[in-house]
Amino acid sequence: MLRKYLYLLLILPLAACIDPYSVEVEGGSQLLTVDGFISTGPGPHSIKLTRSDTYGSVFEGLIRPVSSATVIVRDDLGKVTFLTEDSQDRGVYYTPENFSASVGRSYTLQIQLIDGKVYTSLPERVESVPEIKNVDLKVVKIAVEGEILERSGVQLIAEFDDPADQNNFYYWRTDESTFVLKTRPDLFTPRPSETNPSRDPQPKDCCIICYKTERLGNQGIYLEKDDIFNGLSTGVPAGFIEDDGIRFVDTYRTELQQLSISPEAYRFLRLVKQQVEISGSVFDPPPANIRGNMISLDNPEEIVLGYFIAAGENRKRIYIDGNQLDFRQPVVIIPDDCREIEGSQLDPPLDWNP
Amino acid sequence: MKKLLLVFFLLLSQLGLAQTGEIKREVIGRDIGQLKGIEISGRIIDEITGEALAGATVTVPELKINKITDNNGSFQLTLDRAEYNLQFRYVGYETVNYPITAVGDGRISIKMIQEDFQLDDVVIYGSDPDKNIRSTDMGAITMSMNTMRELPPFLGEVDIIRSMATLPGVSQVGEAAAGLNVRGGGADQNLIQFAGAPIYNPTHLFGLFTSFNADAVNGVTLYKSVIPSRFGGRGSSILDIQPKAGSIAKWGGDLMVSNFSGKVGINGPLVKDKVSIRGGFRGSYINWFLGALSNPDLKNSAANFYDGNLVISAPISEKNEFTYSYYTSYDDFAFASDTTVSWKNNSHSLQWKSIINDKIGLEALGYYTQYDYSIFNRSGINDFDLNSGIKDYGIKAYFYYKFSDTNKVTIGGDFKNLELQPGELVPSQGTESGILPQKVQNEYGRESGIHFQHEFEIGEKFGMSYGARYDMYGYYGPRVVREYAENQPLSDGTAISETTYGDGDQIQTYNGFGPRGSLRYSFSKSSSIKLGYNKMYQFIHLISNTATIAPTDVWKLSDNYLKPQIVDQISLGFYNNFRGNIFETSIEVYYKDIQNVIEYKDGANLILQNNLETELVPANGRAYGIELYVKKNLGRLTGWASYTYSRSLRQVITPFEEEIINDGEWYASNFDKPHDFTLIGNYKVSTNTSISATFGYSTGRPVTFPEAKFDYTGNNLAYFNRRNEQRLPDFHRLDFSVNFKLPGKGKFYDGDWTFSILNVYGRKNPFSLFFVDESGAPPQALRLAVLGVPLPSISYSIKF
Repeated sequence: MLRKYLYLLLILPLAACIDPYSVEVEGGSQLLTVDGFISTGPGPHSIKLTRSDTYGSVFEGLIRPVSSATVIVRDDLGKVTFLTEDSQDRGVYYTPENFSASVGRSYTLQIQLIDGKVYTSLPERVESVPEIKNVDLKVVKIAVEGEILERSGVQLIAEFDDPADQNNFYYWRTDESTFVLKTRPDLFTPRPSETNPSRDPQPKDCCIICYKTERLGNQGIYLEKDDIFNGLSTGVPAGFIEDDGIRFVDTYRTELQQLSISPEAYRFLRLVKQQVEISGSVFDPPPANIRGNMISLDNPEEIVLGYFIAAGENRKRIYIDGNQLDFRQPVVIIPDDCREIEGSQLDPPLDWNP
Repeated sequence: MKKLLLVFFLLLSQLGLAQTGEIKREVIGRDIGQLKGIEISGRIIDEITGEALAGATVTVPELKINKITDNNGSFQLTLDRAEYNLQFRYVGYETVNYPITAVGDGRISIKMIQEDFQLDDVVIYGSDPDKNIRSTDMGAITMSMNTMRELPPFLGEVDIIRSMATLPGVSQVGEAAAGLNVRGGGADQNLIQFAGAPIYNPTHLFGLFTSFNADAVNGVTLYKSVIPSRFGGRGSSILDIQPKAGSIAKWGGDLMVSNFSGKVGINGPLVKDKVSIRGGFRGSYINWFLGALSNPDLKNSAANFYDGNLVISAPISEKNEFTYSYYTSYDDFAFASDTTVSWKNNSHSLQWKSIINDKIGLEALGYYTQYDYSIFNRSGINDFDLNSGIKDYGIKAYFYYKFSDTNKVTIGGDFKNLELQPGELVPSQGTESGILPQKVQNEYGRESGIHFQHEFEIGEKFGMSYGARYDMYGYYGPRVVREYAENQPLSDGTAISETTYGDGDQIQTYNGFGPRGSLRYSFSKSSSIKLGYNKMYQFIHLISNTATIAPTDVWKLSDNYLKPQIVDQISLGFYNNFRGNIFETSIEVYYKDIQNVIEYKDGANLILQNNLETELVPANGRAYGIELYVKKNLGRLTGWASYTYSRSLRQVITPFEEEIINDGEWYASNFDKPHDFTLIGNYKVSTNTSISATFGYSTGRPVTFPEAKFDYTGNNLAYFNRRNEQRLPDFHRLDFSVNFKLPGKGKFYDGDWTFSILNVYGRKNPFSLFFVDESGAPPQALRLAVLGVPLPSISYSIKF
């Protein structure tokens, strides 16, 4: 104990602390926010419209969808595509399923709200993107304060040949993922109730193996420009899938999208990344105003947040065999029928082909 | 019997002296019957080190004359033929009484010996007690190392830069910020020079620590108002750190260990009474302990630093002195990552001081300094080294001519050559690597200046100093320079052509005329008023997108797009000393106008950037303030209080709407802290024990709060618009230290123990607030406190 305290004495100068701090933030303005993305990949593509609100928890301000707007995408040849709002998920507008952007075309997003206000994006030109040759995997461990067990996950490294004659700006996203979900219905133990007071497992007959489909949430923003690898065959970290003790028990399938974006979109996303990844060190860059590419046609002074991206896309589907990973989290046991888990089904997808 | 006789004889002679008051009186000069106008010159040196004692007081009680020795320790007296009881006084030295009979022109050589530091009364003024009143220097503050030792140490060490920050008008961004902000200027507007050589990153441990070993330093002078014309090239201040020479009499050394770092120093005569040497080394052993911690971030961290000094001083004659000084510092740290950041300074300087005769002297100095910093990525994917550096070498020389003691002209010139390597990316896996080697173009600049200054007094009341410096700057090739479309913001998209300049081709020049002047009027011996004006040009800029000096910052020379920073300052001060200079007070007001200060476009990308002009916007700056200062120099209780009210503002107006910050209105700079109060006290409890405390308070520095949150790709992002409109909570902190000696016989037992606690009441002063959206919590503000807890340290030092 004394030894520990002694170490503490020696080290405290480095143990700068970070803790939540309540600040008085003025009531935020409700600014139109555009989260728009189309690509050369298969449709439908979606545009999400919301309004900003006071910074803080949902009690301070609630980000609300902007519904019933007229949303179109127009290319530089004058071709107009109408988007339709999702009937469930308000504020999300979809292109027709057969819509894909084309390399070499420029696109603008135009929005008319129900109050008649009209907004447009600056044109975004779609550039070609090289093919992903291979996706390399690397297990990454992340130490957590106060926990003996480290967090871990799989880093996806996109390998491709960067074209020498182009200035490329890359952005990577992961699309829908599916994995083999293994559960233990034999350990099923319902919550004791008056009719069923037993605390012993009451095994279910089925089912042990399902296929769960999910969309990976915020696992970081992956961007790069080719300044440092122009014309080379290179590998760049392009995604991260956290190991939650369930995903990598057997096989995990995901689809990596490699996107080419405009320099302006790159700059925008870099600022988003910078804000998302801020860690609280004395060397943090100061907060930056993240300017998007949307403008109001009625009032040029009005601030519109967000960005409309039009990207060239190449995607590669990969299967990750959990047994091949050199480190995995301990398996989390789910004592139930695997079909009970949200997003899971008994049959593999038709194109499941590990 | 013989012994008895001897004792008797001695007693008798003592009695005799006591009775008659007959003193052994030195006869000065060759007696040619001269009665008036006898010129007696002399020089005072430290008996041990041979160092000249500048600013020592020479008193002729019979004539009520006080003279102050010059930088070379010399003085002149003009006396009539008579007997005088000269007195020589210097702070921290035993007073020398020196009776003479002046009969003709002659010289005196005085050796003074340092008082043992165990004084009951501590004296904290610099060399000359009423210098603040009489000198025409405005805003020049000399802090002796003894004064700094009285402040509570930072992690067991005397920290020069932090000590300076206790002075009025000088502040720091936060607890881990190494740079100084002097009167509303940026950290790069201070020239920090060690033995005449500029030092580009004077920090250890990512800014927690100053990288100068206090044991190697003789004294520190900060010029923040009217800067003498021999200095130039930086806008706000000059921090001149003088190295300490070794002893020419005997070998000695010192040793210190604290819970954090250790240091050792040795000094002595290489050639007895002629050439002295002093060497010192300081290193940390923090790495040994990092691995033992449970905090995973710290466990995976590494931090190393060391610094070293060498001074060889050869006062080859009374009139000629050569000093060679070498300084090195090294740092690396890896904070819970595969990325190591490292930086090192190396500087050499050779100084020659010569006195040609009583009226003319010269000082010349040559230096070479190199600063290198690197980032090593060892993540396993595309590993690289990113290397940057600065090479700076130059010469400076000046002559002075004294018409009289109170009338002096200085003329000189300087030249420096600068080579900046802003960044070179080296893949560390050779040809296998997935990244390309890359190099940002080197920058070449030459700065030269000529200067003169005339200081004189008119009677007892008026003193004046005026001068000017003419700076000449050139920016040279080889370099490829971009041109941009007219009437459009500078960006990659608006570049239209490129011009290639060959080796040594002149790309751009800037010249600047910088007048300086100050005027003093004395109401009495203990009070005066001074007015000063100053214009400075700065051709090198620190391009930093953080609030502090970061090892990743880029230095940049002025080029076609980046104009020199020009600083105009006017200041007015009132100075009054009370009770025989025991109390010193001052009030100073200033106004400063800064042109071409650098601001950043939102989210500027500064690393590996060949065209920095696309990321920067020129800003106007202005700063003003009032500084109040009270200091008690003498007695058991010494210390000072300073209060500053100041503002430091920026304004960005460009023809392009997207570059304008805060609608073109004036806004607070990152280090604008209107109220700043420091109270420092040192109390001598007994001969062996003293306690000291420092309390600091300042308004929290400006920060930017989000105006709203918005949703993008599932992240709740903060929308920031107007910069620096809110403030961090106020900063206040109390530090405390006890210094004591255990009296003992053995050399190794009677050292000094220092125990200190920083942040006594554990206030979590925020260095910054930042806004995050982490899963499992609402989007919120987090506070980064660098010193969030009371931080004790202990150190033990001995001299041998």
